[in-house]
Amino acid sequence: MDPAWILVILGEVLVAIGVLCDLVAAIGMLRFPNFYVRLHAATVGTIGGAFVPLVGAALIAAGSEFLGVYRWFMAGAALVTAFLVLILAPAGSHALARAAHRSRAAVVKPKVVDHLEEDRRGGEG
Amino acid sequence: MKAWERIVIGASMVIFVALLALVYTLGALGYRVPPSTPRDLAMVYLTMTFNPSNPLFSAMAPEAVTAIVWDYRGLDTLFETAVFFLAIIASVALMRGVSLPEKPPSSAEGMSLIVKTVTKLTIGMILAVAASIAFHGHLTPGGGFQGGATAAVAPLVALVVFSVYFLERSGVTKNRMLGLRSAGLLGIGLTAFLVLIGSLLSGGTAFVFQNQPKPAAPIGLPWRIDGALTGGTLFLFNVFEALAVSAGFTIVFLLLAVPEEEAIKVVRGGEDGH
Repeated sequence: MDPAWILVILGEVLVAIGVLCDLVAAIGMLRFPNFYVRLHAATVGTIGGAFVPLVGAALIAAGSEFLGVYRWFMAGAALVTAFLVLILAPAGSHALARAAHRSRAAVVKPKVVDHLEEDRRGGEG
Repeated sequence: MKAWERIVIGASMVIFVALLALVYTLGALGYRVPPSTPRDLAMVYLTMTFNPSNPLFSAMAPEAVTAIVWDYRGLDTLFETAVFFLAIIASVALMRGVSLPEKPPSSAEGMSLIVKTVTKLTIGMILAVAASIAFHGHLTPGGGFQGGATAAVAPLVALVVFSVYFLERSGVTKNRMLGLRSAGLLGIGLTAFLVLIGSLLSGGTAFVFQNQPKPAAPIGLPWRIDGALTGGTLFLFNVFEALAVSAGFTIVFLLLAVPEEEAIKVVRGGEDGH
């Protein structure tokens, strides 16, 4: 077998993982009980469901020799996009969670433990 | 209205639109979408925008949209730009004398360290993308306005993440942006008369907004420098337009970041409020 096709198969596996992650994230967004765990589901969708398949798309493009020299453009664009998603999506969800917690806009319920809340109350008292 | 009536009305509307779309796509209304051949006007631009064998009618830039926007209908674009900058001048005049409170409020330290670090990384990338859109606009889709608008995202993100005081400290002030914007507008104006000035100095005639040589106006800007395509005036227009647009948008963002209380205080004037 042509070794380039290994890249393609690897990429397709990553895309398949992305599909699974997106599905799980969508179910989580609909079923999870409060804002913070729904945000967790959303980040499963951005990293597992966007970053991973973008890397897979880069591998598929890199392995597709029939695309000629243009496959490097496609692979590069996919990798740059993947990097941007990788750094921007966590920063965005972090900012959302932080703002929601600081403004107490989202009620943590059902709650097992909220160490941040305890720390903050300890700091105020 | 009963429930079944709503269902009938809704379903009949959906069926009507779907049938109309079907008829339209099948070409039963007399024309096909998309048409099977380009229209005559499209063929003119497709064959003329970059055509070294016909330099008198060509803009010598492979990107047809930029060639049309800044060459074939360049004067129109100049007035569009003028409208945009008049709007910005009006907003600056409206907010005359309004400034940020001297002492930053305690909430002005911006967002968390994580967001700040990521933003520092991305602001450089935003500016790089903006530069590639603007300075490559005579070759690939894009142009001065699009590039300038993209560049203006960078100060907007910095304003949200780092606070407006950080922007002021790092030199992005309203007056500097006004200066940059004016420099860009001056550049656009000069570029519009560049070929005319050159022709007058060498004793010939030329048109306003001329790019490539025309009949009875033999002077034009070089469309190729050392093998690299420049599009003549198109590159200069894109550079200056990007400068002016990014600075103009930044002014508006800076003005919008001023707290409403401060703006109302200035608008209200003295204590009796006239």
